[in-house]
This record gives sequence, C-alpha cells and structure tokens, in this order.
Amino acid sequence: MRTLRTLFAKELNATLTSPIGYTVAAVFLLVLGYTFSLTLFATKVANLQYIFHQMYVLSILLVPILTMRSFAEERRSETLELLLTAPVQELSIVLAKYAATLTLVLGIFALSLVYSVVLGRYGDPDWGQIYAGYLALALHASLLVAVGLLMSSITENQVVAAALSIGTFLMLWFADSVSYLLSPPFDSVALNLSLIGHFKPMVSGSVFVSDIGYFVTASMLALFLTTWGLAQR
Amino acid sequence: MAILSIDTPPGNIPAGTDIPAISAIDVSKRYGAVSALEGLTLEVGRGEVFGLLGPNGSGKTTLMRLLAGYLLPSAGRLAVMGHDTTTASLAVRRCIGYVPEAAPLYRQMRVGEFLTFMARLRGVPERKVKGVIEGVADRLALCSVLDKPTRALSRGYRQRVALAQALLHDPDILILDEPTNGLDPRQIIEMRQLIRSLAGRHTVLMSSHILGEVEKTCDRVAVLLDGRLLGVRRIADMPDLEAWFLSLT
Repeated sequence: MRTLRTLFAKELNATLTSPIGYTVAAVFLLVLGYTFSLTLFATKVANLQYIFHQMYVLSILLVPILTMRSFAEERRSETLELLLTAPVQELSIVLAKYAATLTLVLGIFALSLVYSVVLGRYGDPDWGQIYAGYLALALHASLLVAVGLLMSSITENQVVAAALSIGTFLMLWFADSVSYLLSPPFDSVALNLSLIGHFKPMVSGSVFVSDIGYFVTASMLALFLTTWGLAQR
Repeated sequence: MAILSIDTPPGNIPAGTDIPAISAIDVSKRYGAVSALEGLTLEVGRGEVFGLLGPNGSGKTTLMRLLAGYLLPSAGRLAVMGHDTTTASLAVRRCIGYVPEAAPLYRQMRVGEFLTFMARLRGVPERKVKGVIEGVADRLALCSVLDKPTRALSRGYRQRVALAQALLHDPDILILDEPTNGLDPRQIIEMRQLIRSLAGRHTVLMSSHILGEVEKTCDRVAVLLDGRLLGVRRIADMPDLEAWFLSLT
C-alpha cells in the first residue's frame, strides 16, 4: 500500500507540475462554457444533456493527451527501467498511473458542476438525470484513461500513443454503426461494444447494470492488458 | 547450484553458505530470431568487483538487465543471491541496486525528492528514509545538490545520483552499466575509487568497453562478444589484459 501511495503521489505531482493538464483543463472548460451558455440561452431548458454529450466528445479528444506520456515518456527517458528493477509489482505501477490520471480528469469534470449549481439556482432541473449523467461521465473517463494507458504502454512515442488511443475510442464510439453491416451474431457483438450505446441511456437518466458492467469490464480488461504487457519482458 | 525458495527474504542467507552472489547456467536471451545472449554460464562470488568487457552489442547490457529483473531469460537459470530471477523476481530486485547506462532520473524532481521516492520504492522504512539519504549523499558528495532539480545536474552528478538511488537500501549486489561513460577524467577516477570502496561489502558487477577501466577497477573480468562468453580471468593473474582480450576476440 505504501508503494502504491508513493507511486500515486509521484504521478499526481508529475501531472500537476506539467502544463499539459492545465492546458487540457482550460480548453475543456472554455468549450464547455461556450456550449452551456449557447444551449441555455437558445433553449431556456434546465437540462445538462447537451453538456454531458459535449463532455463525452471532448474527453475522447483530450484524455489521450493526458495519458499519452504515462508510459511512453517513461520508456523514452528510460526511467521505466528504474521502476521495473525496483521491488514493485507491475500492477502497482499501472494502478498508480491510472488513479492519478483519472483523478485529474474527474477533477476537470468536477469543475463543470458549477453548471448544475447555476441550473439549480435559476431553474428546476431533474437531479436524478444529472447524477446519472455524472456517473456515466466518471465511468466513461475510467474507460478512456485505462485504454489510453494501454496504448501508451506499447510505444515510446507519445504522438503514436495519442493517435492509437483516439483511433480506438472512435472505433468504439462508432461500433454500433458497424453492426448494421454485420450478420448475426457479430452484429450484436459490435452493438454491445458501442461506447455511445452504453453512455446514452445513463445520460438520459436510465442507469442499467449492463451499461455500468460494460465500462467497468472494459476498464479492467485494459488495465489487465497493460499490466500483462509490462510483465512481458 | 543452490537456489533458495521464493519466500526466502533477501539478506537472510546465512554467512558462510556457498551460495554465490550471481549464478548463471546456460542462460540465453532471444528477441525473435535475434540472439542477444547465448548459453552463458557464469558465477560471481560475494564481495567481488566483476567486470564485463566487450564491444557495443556484445550482450553486456542484456545480461545486466536480466540480472536486474528488467528482462527475463528465454532459456537457462539465472539466480541472484540464490533467488531465481524468473520465479522470485521481487526477491531479486530487493537484493540488487541497478544503475542503467543512461543514468535516468525524473527531470521534474529535485535530487532529494528523487532519492526519497526511490528509497520508499525500495522499501526503506519511513523513519529511516531521511537518515539513509543523508548517509548516502554524504558518502557520494551529493549534499550540495540535494535541493537542485535533477535536470540541472552535470553528467558526473547525474551518474552519482543514479548510483545513490541504487545504494539507498544497502543492496547485496550493485549492477553498474558503463558507470564511467561520459565522465571527464577526474570524474572517472572518482567513480573508480568509489566502486573500489564498495567492494567487499557489496558485490559489484560493472560493464565497460574500455580495457584500462576494467583492469584498474575489477577483481575478475569476463569477455563477451556477440552474446557469447569467451572467457573469464582474474585480473591479478594476467600480465597483459590487452593481449588476452585480443587473443579471444
């Protein structure tokens, strides 16, 4: 536990002392603020669904920028050799990086809570839908960070890591479209892989165990593969 | 060769036992069709300063990475202080201090911060961390740079900080990959004296492609070429290392 804490503190510190995190947060909040104002004034409806969908898209584009350096940078600067020759389990290294990046992403998401406060102050929003939306975003972030780490662990080039992550996210996003081209049972497999297919119901306020299971399972699978990949030497 | 069980804690091997510090039996490492190390058999005794000599690409770094637990052998058995590097990797990593050739450091950290991080990773008890760092910094003349960012250090200081992180947990074995690489003449002499001062208390395995360096620093030397071990000799028994090296290669 002490090792995990030490690694987590180092990762969080590295994230917070790098300009990348702040740049991503600034871009995220700027675009979100613009969308929120536009939607609120145009529709006059106390609803955050647009914002949640915007956050869904933005995080697909921005999370790879946060995860790309995790392993790729350690590999390039050869500090990964230090970590892997210390008496530390590979799982601890992966979990520390995952937890630190997820903390940053959730922190950025948390800043958007101000929109809920504004809606609550001047309107009568459906709080259940808002809670479900944030749950969906947290699970979505978990999956993106886990897959982003996996991509970063297989290359020492950060740009390649980011490109692989975005490519994977887009393929998962549009998996439901692919399902129309496939015959049974592959169509249902593709449909169930769809990122948006599991995100949309939750944002609408319908929380299904199967959707939660999808995000949790995919995150765990990505973390397992990252750990397994590190252990293959 | 005696291999201890996975559960045997490092440092608890009774004194006087015949377990060597390093034992390799027919060890090979392959990357697909490329063989980086082939059928290496070697034994290094406790307290020795052992040199690996060979040109670039001869397999020195691969052997060191195998011993440090960074790589796993494709075939053969490799043991460090009696712990098998494949089945008891964590126990092996507790026994060793490793300094890679590039002396990698975290650029965003200060020297003291970096050593604290590494001490915690290496399992130094929290109440001892400060004292251990002060002790190692004092020994390696690093006290004046503890507050400096690692990115601002000269090559010589980087090498010393990298060595310091390897010494924090007082390991049985030190593995130093090209420890004098990139150092100026004075720094090379200092590093050599430092390595000699570590002998006896620690087993030191160092690599170099410079004959004179190995001759002045090591007790025994092994010559590697194209992943194969060509010979092992005691430096004191050799009138002319250069002639022996040329005869092998």
